[in-house]
Amino acid sequence: MSSIKRISIIMWREFLAIAGKKTFIVTTILIPLIGIACMGLPFLMSKINTSETQTVAVMDESGRYGAAITSNDDFRFHDISPIGAEGLKEFYDQQENLYAIVVIPAGIDSTCNVNIISRNAVRTGLQQHVAQCLDDTITQARIASYGIPQLDKIMEDSRADVQVNCIKWEEDGSESQSNADIASFIGLMLAFLTYMFVMMYGAMILTSVSEEKTNRIVEVMVSCCRPIELLVGKIVGVGLVGLAQIAIWVALLGVASAALGFGSIASGDPSMMMQASGANAMLDGMDDETLATFMQSVASIDIAGIVVCFILYFLGGYLLYGSLFAAAGSTVDQPNESSQVTVPLMMFLVFALWAGIACIDNPDGQLAWWCSMIPFTSPVVMMVRLPYDVALWEVVLSIVVLYASAFGIAALAAKIYRKGILLYGKKFSLKDILTLLK
Amino acid sequence: MNFIEVKDVVKQYDGHLALDRVSISVPRGCVFGLLGPNGAGKTSLIRILNMITRADSGEVLFDGHQLCASDIANIGYLPEERGLYRKMKVADHILYIARLRGMDTQAARVAMGEWLERFGLTEWAGKKIETLSKGMAQKVQFITTVIHSPQLLIFDEPFSGFDPVNAELLKKEILRLHDMGATIIFSTHNMSSVEEVCEEFALINRSQVVLSGRVAQVRRNFGKKLYRVGVSDTMSLEPVDNLFSVEHVEPSPFGGIVADLRLGTDVAPRDVVAYLNDHYMLAEFHELLPSMNEIFIETVSNTNNTIAR
Repeated sequence: MSSIKRISIIMWREFLAIAGKKTFIVTTILIPLIGIACMGLPFLMSKINTSETQTVAVMDESGRYGAAITSNDDFRFHDISPIGAEGLKEFYDQQENLYAIVVIPAGIDSTCNVNIISRNAVRTGLQQHVAQCLDDTITQARIASYGIPQLDKIMEDSRADVQVNCIKWEEDGSESQSNADIASFIGLMLAFLTYMFVMMYGAMILTSVSEEKTNRIVEVMVSCCRPIELLVGKIVGVGLVGLAQIAIWVALLGVASAALGFGSIASGDPSMMMQASGANAMLDGMDDETLATFMQSVASIDIAGIVVCFILYFLGGYLLYGSLFAAAGSTVDQPNESSQVTVPLMMFLVFALWAGIACIDNPDGQLAWWCSMIPFTSPVVMMVRLPYDVALWEVVLSIVVLYASAFGIAALAAKIYRKGILLYGKKFSLKDILTLLK
Repeated sequence: MNFIEVKDVVKQYDGHLALDRVSISVPRGCVFGLLGPNGAGKTSLIRILNMITRADSGEVLFDGHQLCASDIANIGYLPEERGLYRKMKVADHILYIARLRGMDTQAARVAMGEWLERFGLTEWAGKKIETLSKGMAQKVQFITTVIHSPQLLIFDEPFSGFDPVNAELLKKEILRLHDMGATIIFSTHNMSSVEEVCEEFALINRSQVVLSGRVAQVRRNFGKKLYRVGVSDTMSLEPVDNLFSVEHVEPSPFGGIVADLRLGTDVAPRDVVAYLNDHYMLAEFHELLPSMNEIFIETVSNTNNTIAR
């Protein structure tokens, strides 16, 4: 029987051992839900909080601005100016349900100071609301005090609002809009996705290897197949679980988009897409022009190229770290030892992520360049750089370096693995591991 | 014709010599005992036979040819430290190992059905292994070892952890496979099972084969001319110069005594029988062969002493 046949038998078992579990199906569905919840929850929470309307008293000593503070959904204002400053404390003590008192001093025109008195700390919403109401009214009053006709109009006209557009000159002389914010967002997302997957599935390989060793099935296994077949079957099988998970998420995203009308993205009508997605809340401040710029920037990023690179880096990074995790797992004797051996690997990965984040500020800097070449960090860091149009030769070089070292390290890891799985009752030092490599 | 020929095999693990020019021959259809104290090199040799590791030098012949990867399909191996995938279902697990050993799925299913039935596990086929009792799990391990009807079976301490009932069942099945023509290698410390089932053996101590041959022949060779006699008309037995000395006497429950006699050099048993027959009422006379256990201990301590000196 051929190696390929045995590898495929092993691969399917590994795949089903993880993907066939209920926990896999549950987590695959739960992770996006938790993600959405994490983003949506603060918003919902603030909604819940503000459902209550608070009563606030206004003591207007200036006698002119009390009416400027208008009630809204959160706060209802009552004028209590007739009570006078002397009776204020007594009044507050009597009113159990009074949330706070806004005191507008007589000299507000010049000082611009307003006090809010309360028993507990007040919500920032109240401060903001009071400030906003008085800002406008006092500004208007001041403008009017100059006695220049139509001064407010003149000031409105003379206000400048500078928009910075980033124009990129292509080699062929054409121009395209780019947007650093969007590029960095996409880059960071992909970097984080790579980081998360390599970490998650690397740990799965480790568990799978060390489980076989600790429950001693491995002796039976290596009598049926070569250790390298077991290792390759395992890495590919676990990798397939990862790909299946991504496929499920893409499918879920497709279903969700179809349901929410995200499909209009294809029709190329950005405003409709924004409306449909309910994202208009987020983009409240954006007028049509900004929106158009936004869409143009998205279009300027080479989506297809990034997707291809993402897959290449993803697989290369997975192979590199996956085989290292497997080698680490093969040195584990007791299930509780596994955390020790993973620490160095995790540190590499965390460093890669931090380097990626650091590179957002300067995607063409020295750190970014070197970290996108070193195979241990390139799968994560290059994701950050890609949306900023990296030169093709750099990408090719980095991918070649990544794959060359991934296969090299996989071969070394296989050596450690082959011997490690059959050694029991031994604490591995770095020296032992070097001996295994001989 | 020898089914397995191990010739001058050397295996070294960083600085430690695990096998030192080891040679063994296992005839076809033989039940072969591979004996030796812990750490003697048995497992190293078994791993080489299973192609888990390779010998540094020397050669291993399997059915007349160099042992090669395709022979895996003809070997069944039950390691001493054996495990199962606890989360897998019984049937899935058996089929998985059977397919890795080169069986096609259909044939594996048929064979599995027979074996499960033989061990009364048919109803458990769809259950997860973690729900099985220890005895049942051991039966599943046994099935995965033999399902592909290998020509060579290697059992490393097969009876350890088995209760007496299951151990007997296992022994019966192993002997049945032997009757069907399989060659069997037993690695064990259990010397009574060696006397019971093994025809030939090799004793490994400190990485070397220190004793080997047919069990019956070696026991005879190790015999120290010790004979047990029963005489029914006396309560004492006097030694006779140049014929025999008396080592041990005890009363027999059937009357008279039972005594162990050591024969003098060059004394034939028939002369002793003739003498006893003339003087006493002889009820019993047979040679006392050393047990494999005694031979094991004696040989191991002798070689250890030699090396120590």
